[in-house]
Amino acid sequence: MLLAEYRNKNLSRCFPRLGLASLLLCLISGAILSFHYRPMGNVFQNVEEITSVVPYGRFFRQLHYASGQLFVILMSLHTLDHFLRRRYRTFGPRQWSLLIISLALCFLALFTGFILKGDKEGLFAARIFMNILRTVPLVGNRLSNFFILPGDSLFFLPYLYHCIFLPPLIFYLLNAHTREWLPDASFLLVTTVGLFLFAIFIDPWMDIPPDAIVGLVKGPWFFLGIQCLLRFLPPFYAGLLVPGMVVLCIFLLPVAGKRLGKCLHYSILGVLILYALLTLKEFLFGP
Amino acid sequence: MQAKRVRINQDKGKKCMDRRAFLRNNLFRVLCSIGAAVLSYPILAFLTFRKPRDKRVIFHLLKDPQPILYKEGVFLVPIGRSHRALSARCTHLGCTLNYDPVSLKFRCPCHGSQFDISGKRIAGPAKRDLQVLPIDKKGKGELVVTLKL
Repeated sequence: MLLAEYRNKNLSRCFPRLGLASLLLCLISGAILSFHYRPMGNVFQNVEEITSVVPYGRFFRQLHYASGQLFVILMSLHTLDHFLRRRYRTFGPRQWSLLIISLALCFLALFTGFILKGDKEGLFAARIFMNILRTVPLVGNRLSNFFILPGDSLFFLPYLYHCIFLPPLIFYLLNAHTREWLPDASFLLVTTVGLFLFAIFIDPWMDIPPDAIVGLVKGPWFFLGIQCLLRFLPPFYAGLLVPGMVVLCIFLLPVAGKRLGKCLHYSILGVLILYALLTLKEFLFGP
Repeated sequence: MQAKRVRINQDKGKKCMDRRAFLRNNLFRVLCSIGAAVLSYPILAFLTFRKPRDKRVIFHLLKDPQPILYKEGVFLVPIGRSHRALSARCTHLGCTLNYDPVSLKFRCPCHGSQFDISGKRIAGPAKRDLQVLPIDKKGKGELVVTLKL
């Protein structure tokens, strides 16, 4: 009942505006970082040099990391807010689908960014993603080659997606939905101050060298639930089929009838809560 | 009677025009779709091509008996006087395995699969044993292991 009565209009107004402000900072800091980032050769060493040798490199890396994370978290909360208030009924199925696709692409951008760190976590995430894609029947190998190539150029395609393909595609998909691309001055100020303070005072998490031996390697926070599922289910089911079914159900929300819609709504809500619990379990206790 | 015949002819003509207009309007779209479908194959083939590559990992052995060695994705396991080379890639989803000298097992840090020192799967989500790699013996205690990427 609490969820059904969820009516916090102020927060609903804040999420997208703060999100746009963080997107702006994310793009600026990303463009600055790209002057020194090289996706070939020893990527880990390159990232460490950016962080520790290049002037203000640590600041821009942290700013890019925090603004990207904040943008995707706020977009997820914005979508969740619409979902809880059943606003998907007011969207047409096409517009709703495009918005869900754009949110999925935001997560893909975050994931490619995680890979581009070039450390052990990024390297393993790339390999796991590649091997999960290979489990798709018939087209698996071709599909994985479309996103990641093994060997020396492992980071090249994620780099292309992260810097060149995904940002304009996300802009294009969000364009019909966004009233004004430039956020209000007050939101921009609050976001800038908050993210700058984070970038100045919070050190980057310790990057694990690719050849270091560690007992446990974790994926990005939003895939921890899938990492947990991968221990029990075959990769195709845990990595593609189950998440794909959930996304398909979300797509169907605006076109489902009243009864089916209600059923879908509560099923998705249940799956989201379960996924949050799985993520928390994986984060706190690991394997 | 005549008026009825005229109406039927008009209807026929309208249907004919509708069909023609439909064909004319959609012919371009259909041709474009066929063209895009024909073009998409070479584009996809180009984008998803990967040249098969081998990587050679060279181990320099000393005369003394050695423990299990690791280098660039390969474990070299001594078996009596000879050696066995095992790929260090977990057969589940490709993470690099760690060797645990206490339990004499290879463990995956990502999803917890375990393998014994012969490469046989013991536990976890991996379904296959570790890949055994070909070894070439060169002079002066050099072993060359070929790893397919």
